Amino acid sequence: MNTTDNLRKTIKTLVSEKKVDLFLGWEKGSLPLAATPLFVTTEEEADRAIFDVTCGNNLSIYFTKDKKQYADKKVGIAVKGCDARSVVLNILEKQIKRENVVIVGVPCNGVLDKKKVLAATEGREVLELMDNGDTVTVKGKGFELSLNRQEILSSSCHACIYPDAQEYDFFMGEARGEVPNEERVKEIVDFQNLPDSDRWEQTRVEYQKCIRCYACRNVCPSCYCNVCFVDQNDPKWIGSTCEYTDTVIFHVIRNLHVAGRCVECGACERACPMDINLLMMNRKVAMEVKDRFGDVAGLDIDGKPAMSDFKEDEKQKFIMG
Amino acid sequence: MNMVSLDKKKFGSFILELSAEYTVYAPGKAGGKTEFIPVESEDEIDLKTLVTDLSPKGIFFPHSEVLYEYDKEGIRVPQKETGKPIAVWGMRGCDSRSLLMLNKVFGSAIQMPDNKNFQDPYWKEKYDSSVIFGTGCNEPLSTCFCNWFEGGPHSSQGMDVFVADAGDRFLMEPVTDKGRAALDKMSSFTDSTEDDKTTAAQLASEAQGGMAEPMDVNGLGEMLNNKYDEPVWEEVSAKCINCGACTFSCPTCHCYDIQDEGKGSSGKRIRIWDSCMFPIFTMEASGHNPRALSSQRVRQRVMHKYSYFPEKYGEFLCTGCGRCVTVCPVNLDIREVLKRINEYKKQGITNG
Repeated sequence: MNTTDNLRKTIKTLVSEKKVDLFLGWEKGSLPLAATPLFVTTEEEADRAIFDVTCGNNLSIYFTKDKKQYADKKVGIAVKGCDARSVVLNILEKQIKRENVVIVGVPCNGVLDKKKVLAATEGREVLELMDNGDTVTVKGKGFELSLNRQEILSSSCHACIYPDAQEYDFFMGEARGEVPNEERVKEIVDFQNLPDSDRWEQTRVEYQKCIRCYACRNVCPSCYCNVCFVDQNDPKWIGSTCEYTDTVIFHVIRNLHVAGRCVECGACERACPMDINLLMMNRKVAMEVKDRFGDVAGLDIDGKPAMSDFKEDEKQKFIMG
Repeated sequence: MNMVSLDKKKFGSFILELSAEYTVYAPGKAGGKTEFIPVESEDEIDLKTLVTDLSPKGIFFPHSEVLYEYDKEGIRVPQKETGKPIAVWGMRGCDSRSLLMLNKVFGSAIQMPDNKNFQDPYWKEKYDSSVIFGTGCNEPLSTCFCNWFEGGPHSSQGMDVFVADAGDRFLMEPVTDKGRAALDKMSSFTDSTEDDKTTAAQLASEAQGGMAEPMDVNGLGEMLNNKYDEPVWEEVSAKCINCGACTFSCPTCHCYDIQDEGKGSSGKRIRIWDSCMFPIFTMEASGHNPRALSSQRVRQRVMHKYSYFPEKYGEFLCTGCGRCVTVCPVNLDIREVLKRINEYKKQGITNG
């Protein structure tokens, strides 16, 4: 039985046995390159659930939307490895209760990045997509291409170490285990090794693209402040223009607000309508957190998030030099 | 002047000619995405992209626009850098139509209650003197739905010159006197032949045939008004994450905020795009928010486009460009929302 069939069966059981009031999954959307979130409350709706290379959305954002809309409900959720870490983080940060969530892990081989597919089709519109595992076939008017899966994966997937949910109630297939990933820090180290002026220039160019739509913030499961700092206007912390002097501040502060909380799912980067490389800075901060506090966000349900904990022996560079 | 033919080999000199009289904007690459950028030569122009990632509304209504600066000496309105009027090359019918809609809001005299007429000088300064060279779409995308409204792939509404891309040449036909006057000043093209006219007509009919069957939008506004309090809004907005990607990429969304940035005794007042998707859009000083929920904000966006605006200005505030469909991070497809609302019509239910 493939993952999608398995997932549909599990959702049906959970719904029919009233183990959950609602199940969050993915279904085929109106466009071929992206699945769309599915909210299942009946057995019939469960038959629309899918899991494939287009299921990029991290569904745990919906726990904290509209001020914890599902706080009193039992909610089931389909998760990739990164999404599971978001659910765990939401639990550790007391946004949801473990006993109210049924976590269903799916075996993930990475999700696509729209811009990489469009680069492969040289901008031609894709009208149909098929996920064949190692390859992904895309069709459009007058063309059909078989793309190597690795070439179209989101940069977050290339950097992924934990493709499987570490915390789950059900798992739909075979877990891949930890993926040794020597190359994952290369982009970050290369950037670090640049002279200051080049780093600044690259940062400025990147964040200058921002149009302040906040898609990155709103798809981020770790961004759930009741009032975001950019929306506070008494006092006003930051300008709202798309001058880079404002946009850089927005992105750097968001970056620091998710330090030790970013699960590196890449949802921000895939959502960005302006193709800003948002992930590198977040991954750099995650590296720092791991190095200084030994913590990987959302990995351990019995742990404490790095920024909510203090150990006497932890490395404090800013004091000890 | 009738239709003229511009050999694509002469496109470069045409752009140079145009640049002598105008500040020229055209689709181009900006940081990997396509948007309308100021250009000086043919090389910077992207002739392939049909619907640019960002709409051209920013040319006339920029994301952030300084309205005036102030200090102890007084108030100063920033002056334009060059005195040249704006020419836009390559605007599609959906986008040129959107300018007509925005012009109803910013450009037309609105009678205020105190009998004063209001026109937005910042918009008018740029828009009134501009010349729009619009291009017909020969192969509309699957996300295009201009034919739902009063547009079409070869519609010339809102354009001053309509351009049909006939492979090796552009067939240009003046639509307004302004367009005719602009062409009169240039010489890179030749008169068109009877063949050219046939080709242009054929391209238009093929393009029209390439579009999916439109939804019938008759009575949509009234239908929406009757559905204001229905649970359908919670249903269709469930996946919305309330970012502003749709409103910021939309060629017709025009809500803005005015903010002051001051330091000591000087500062500036800036007009900045705002989005009805953001909770702070309607946050009141008391702390009360009349649109605190996502479903209320999605409803507002749909109602404004397909009910309030038509009520006030006589047409839908949507040209079917499909950008919001393409850009939405959760694939909340506005066409599906409208189809969902239209189902009520099929069921013959119109009253609540």
